Amino acid sequence: MSKLSFRARALDAAKPLPIYRGKDMPDLNDCVSINRAVPQMPTGMEKEEESEHHLQRAISAQQVFREKKESMVIPVPEAESNVNYYNRLYKGEFKQPKQFIHIQPFNLDNEQPDYDMDSEDETLLNRLNRKMEIKPLQFEIMIDRLEKASSNQLVTLQEAKLLLNEDDYLIKAVYDYWVRKRKNCRGPSLIPQIKQEKRDGSTNNDPYVAFRRRTEKMQTRKNRKNDEASYEKMLKLRREFSRAITILEMIKRREKTKRELLHLTLEVVEKRYHLGDYGGEILNEVKISRSEKELYATPATLHNGNHHKVQECKTKVLSPVSEPEEENDPDGPCAFRRRAGCQYYAPRLDQANHSCENSELADLDKLRYRHCLTTLTVPRRCIGFARRRIGRGGRVIMDRISTEHDPVLKQIDPEMLNSFSSSSQTIDFSSNFSRTNASSKHCENRLSLSEILSNIRSCRLQCFQPRLLNLQDSDSEECTSRKPGQTVNNKRVSAASVALLNTSKNGISVTGGITEEQFQTHQQQLVQMQRQQLAQLQQKQQSQHSSQQTHPKAQGSSTSDCMSKTLDSASAHFAASAVVSAPVPSRSEVAKEQNTGHNNINGVVQPSGTSKTLYSTNMALSSSPGISAVQLVRTVGHTTTNHLIPALCTSSPQTLPMNNSCLTNAVHLNNVSVVSPVNVHINTRTSAPSPTALKLATVAASMDRVPKVTPSSAISSIARENHEPERLGLNGIAETTVAMEVT
Amino acid sequence: MAEVGEIIEGCRLPVLRRNQDNEDEWPLAEILSVKDISGRKLFYVHYIDFNKRLDEWVTHERLDLKKIQFPKKEAKTPTKNGLPGSRPGSPEREVPASAQASGKTLPIPVQITLRFNLPKEREAIPGGEPDQPLSSSSCLQPNHRSTKRKVEVVSPATPVPSETAPASVFPQNGAARRAVAAQPGRKRKSNCLGTDEDSQDSSDGIPSAPRMTGSLVSDRSHDDIVTRMKNIECIELGRHRLKPWYFSPYPQELTTLPVLYLCEFCLKYGRSLKCLQRHLTKCDLRHPPGNEIYRKGTISFFEIDGRKNKSYSQNLCLLAKCFLDHKTLYYGTDPFLFYVMTEYDCKGFHIVGYFSKEKESTEDYNVACILTLPPYQRRGYGKLLIEFSYELSKVEGKTGTPEKPLSDLGLLSYRSYWSQTILEILMGLKSESGERPQITINEISEITSIKKEDVISTLQYLNLINYYKGQYILTLSEDIVDGHERAMLKRLLRIDSKCLHFTPKDWSKRGKW
Repeated sequence: MSKLSFRARALDAAKPLPIYRGKDMPDLNDCVSINRAVPQMPTGMEKEEESEHHLQRAISAQQVFREKKESMVIPVPEAESNVNYYNRLYKGEFKQPKQFIHIQPFNLDNEQPDYDMDSEDETLLNRLNRKMEIKPLQFEIMIDRLEKASSNQLVTLQEAKLLLNEDDYLIKAVYDYWVRKRKNCRGPSLIPQIKQEKRDGSTNNDPYVAFRRRTEKMQTRKNRKNDEASYEKMLKLRREFSRAITILEMIKRREKTKRELLHLTLEVVEKRYHLGDYGGEILNEVKISRSEKELYATPATLHNGNHHKVQECKTKVLSPVSEPEEENDPDGPCAFRRRAGCQYYAPRLDQANHSCENSELADLDKLRYRHCLTTLTVPRRCIGFARRRIGRGGRVIMDRISTEHDPVLKQIDPEMLNSFSSSSQTIDFSSNFSRTNASSKHCENRLSLSEILSNIRSCRLQCFQPRLLNLQDSDSEECTSRKPGQTVNNKRVSAASVALLNTSKNGISVTGGITEEQFQTHQQQLVQMQRQQLAQLQQKQQSQHSSQQTHPKAQGSSTSDCMSKTLDSASAHFAASAVVSAPVPSRSEVAKEQNTGHNNINGVVQPSGTSKTLYSTNMALSSSPGISAVQLVRTVGHTTTNHLIPALCTSSPQTLPMNNSCLTNAVHLNNVSVVSPVNVHINTRTSAPSPTALKLATVAASMDRVPKVTPSSAISSIARENHEPERLGLNGIAETTVAMEVT
Repeated sequence: MAEVGEIIEGCRLPVLRRNQDNEDEWPLAEILSVKDISGRKLFYVHYIDFNKRLDEWVTHERLDLKKIQFPKKEAKTPTKNGLPGSRPGSPEREVPASAQASGKTLPIPVQITLRFNLPKEREAIPGGEPDQPLSSSSCLQPNHRSTKRKVEVVSPATPVPSETAPASVFPQNGAARRAVAAQPGRKRKSNCLGTDEDSQDSSDGIPSAPRMTGSLVSDRSHDDIVTRMKNIECIELGRHRLKPWYFSPYPQELTTLPVLYLCEFCLKYGRSLKCLQRHLTKCDLRHPPGNEIYRKGTISFFEIDGRKNKSYSQNLCLLAKCFLDHKTLYYGTDPFLFYVMTEYDCKGFHIVGYFSKEKESTEDYNVACILTLPPYQRRGYGKLLIEFSYELSKVEGKTGTPEKPLSDLGLLSYRSYWSQTILEILMGLKSESGERPQITINEISEITSIKKEDVISTLQYLNLINYYKGQYILTLSEDIVDGHERAMLKRLLRIDSKCLHFTPKDWSKRGKW
């Protein structure tokens, strides 16, 4: 009755098992072997060891007798517990504390030497002790230090002397002993240590190497999502910390400046006190003389005859519709969000902050707010001296100032001014340079109209001129510049040509500074940057091309109209011929060059200091066209540039001067951070690149060699470029979008 | 009759050994190593089918040279792989290259007979093997292991309990052999070495490095001659002198010392008594450097973090390795906690035993390695350690099981603990309202924190589960009950959960162990 005809159900761990004891046990014959239904559990031992005699004997004994018999115990090697010197070895007693023992893990390191003296050492110590006193612990510390300082290479006696703060004789004795002992020692160290793994994996199978590092992390159940989330949090944290750092840096700078100011004020007061200048007369005197001097020193302050043709709040710089970076704005829910289809001015963050970094910049700031001869486009008239500000929401506000010349000035034909300036374009700038200073038209200066006009004429100075397109650029320049490095970007200096002049002059006069090698690396950087920009542009192109496509034609024609009216034909021709005659790469360079010039027009005044560095680059190339090379590379990626190129090729110089923004990043990258880096995205926003333009850009980007452009052509093109905006501005009608060059 | 000088590594021959009853036996042993000390040859012998811990150095007087078997040609040198099939304690069988036949026996006939005569009781040969061409090299190489199996020759002097003896083959005339004791039974068969062993190697997946998760690992890949031999002769620890059972990676220069001196409290090792003396002037520990989490009477438990107290943990592992064959010290101690059981006397808290435990176990292990130091063995401390480990699991609200493989002593101890614990519960059940008391396996598991599988295996081992009238029942026979009651009378040391002050930490939230 042992076999069952049915299969026993599997043992269910969740099912109650009734327990039968002793007498009420069912007849075991009725019970069924469960071997089949309940699989035998493995013992958990190594298979081969399971069969060992002693274990099997013990197991069987247990099963038979329900108890272990003495003889059935698994034998083990003997252990003795009869160390008779134990009490001498472990001296003292230890009272069990009432409380549970709690240990601080860091209290364990008690700086005791790991080395333990042996009897051989003791002999030495006894010998040494005849001459001097040395304690075992002292000796152990010495050996310990020697051991720990030496790896495979023993420390030298000299090193030992540095290590050990003992007297020389003792060091020598111990050192010699140690060296001898170490040589006889079989192990790698006198302090026996467990063999360490070696990095090369050669010790992977060494049985004496223990406690290896765990290279792979132990696999435990971990929530991956959690990891990702915490990673993101870490990133955010990092970003916020870096912002905090920036803020703190700025605070630091501010406070330093404050302190500086305080010191200076104090100094001034002291000086005045010593001079006895209690009434402030001397101070005033000094102040005046200083400002005058300044005028002479800084050509950038020349600002005669700038027309401010104001597009009353119509010229809006369109900030990008939406940019990916802004999506990630860390401000979270409070972040500024653009409404779809809305065009906003880009924020201007840095106007106040960065302008006062040095005296030069302060001067520029002053310039920025000086009054200058200004004309309006609509209605087309000259309004006399005025100062332009950017008001809330990007409105352009003209602060006018009344002078005695007002009646005269109001009659001035704005066109006249332009023609003057255009005709004077080819004049050697430097020759007029000094004279421009004289034309500084602070309102106090009493100048007759004729004087002013002559000044304008002779100096070929430009009025503040409203260029529809340029205005946008310049606005954007001012409004959108965000980068802290852009310190001068807010300088809308009308005397751009002068600035240009200045820079080119610098370029010629300043030598050295940058090696060719530097230039090369710089170029590489630029090329890389251009590629990025290109990519960006291509992206933008898709979205914006269509919207902007509508305008270019009309504008193109209008600009050409105005060109024909106002452009000095000679200079235009010159520029065109220069461009055409140059090899292809240089052609594009020239275009770029124009960009540069244009940029300057757009209000970037390069203080001589910084421009020096900029142009010394070119000097390193030992030719003035180098300028173009540098500038070119910088601007290659920009669509505006690219638009210029075809225009130039066809010798129609009415290319749109909207490339101001081209230089932004370039300049920025160039470390000439004083130059205003107008944001790239302005550019990308305002102009959609045409395929050819992109192509040209790439061509230019791939160009390595220094282009051969004659200085004259370069200059002329710059000059023409300077000139250009006026023209455009003249006939510019208040428009909110930038015209595109049709290619 | 061979000369002493001819004895080389890999030879097998009966070696005189005195058993516990002080009787002389001549079990078959394998020579693992030969050394020459001042002109006197010493042989390191492993008694086949006895645990490695009994391996010892013997002089030639104890060798029965008449029955020597020389290793086969290709297996002569005990290179790492080529250890001639003599895993410790493994009843490996191979065609007996008896003294006169050695070197003459052609390999091929041997292989053939081996294959076709023995497949029944030898799962050692993988199934596909007989199909392979038997031409020597191609067959020998890929199945290195199985072809090296030797037919075990059991010395007639050795009393082998027939029911538990491994399959033995007595050699007769070298070729014809008769399988005796070939009734290995179900268990034996399914657990037989060969294939399982091989598959285990591959299933481990990491042939070059042991698995990361535990310290109790069968470390086949490093099973070379070095780790098969004890390397420390004697360890002095407090009052005790211990004879190590297994290899331990103490610094190699210390292995030649007659005695290795350990500080009883910090377990630091020193070359000499003088060193220990000096060390004791600097070491003021009188207890394991951890937090005491349990104290009752003189028994205390200390918890030591393998990451925070590396040097103690490492020293403890080195000491423990002397007595644990399957412990690996390949990796560091960081992911482990060490629970050290001590006994207090006026000198301090003396280490009695310990167990280690993974801070985070993916496989419900609540013990990695567990050891009662030899002087304290067979006095109930082992069971106390085990009980404590389950007490911790109860606090954690988990069931647990010791990491495998278990050693022989480990298996016996655990079985004994499981049996007593489960029987205690079963016998404590009172019948309610005249109905027969009943319990589920899951309930037992929950009450005891013993993992379900271990509960089942214990019930099986005790033969309590029976199938009666369409359902499973537990039967407590008289002798089971009596045996249990007698055993519990002897079991005086118990863990008192009220004396445990333990808060489990959630190591998974710490990122680092």
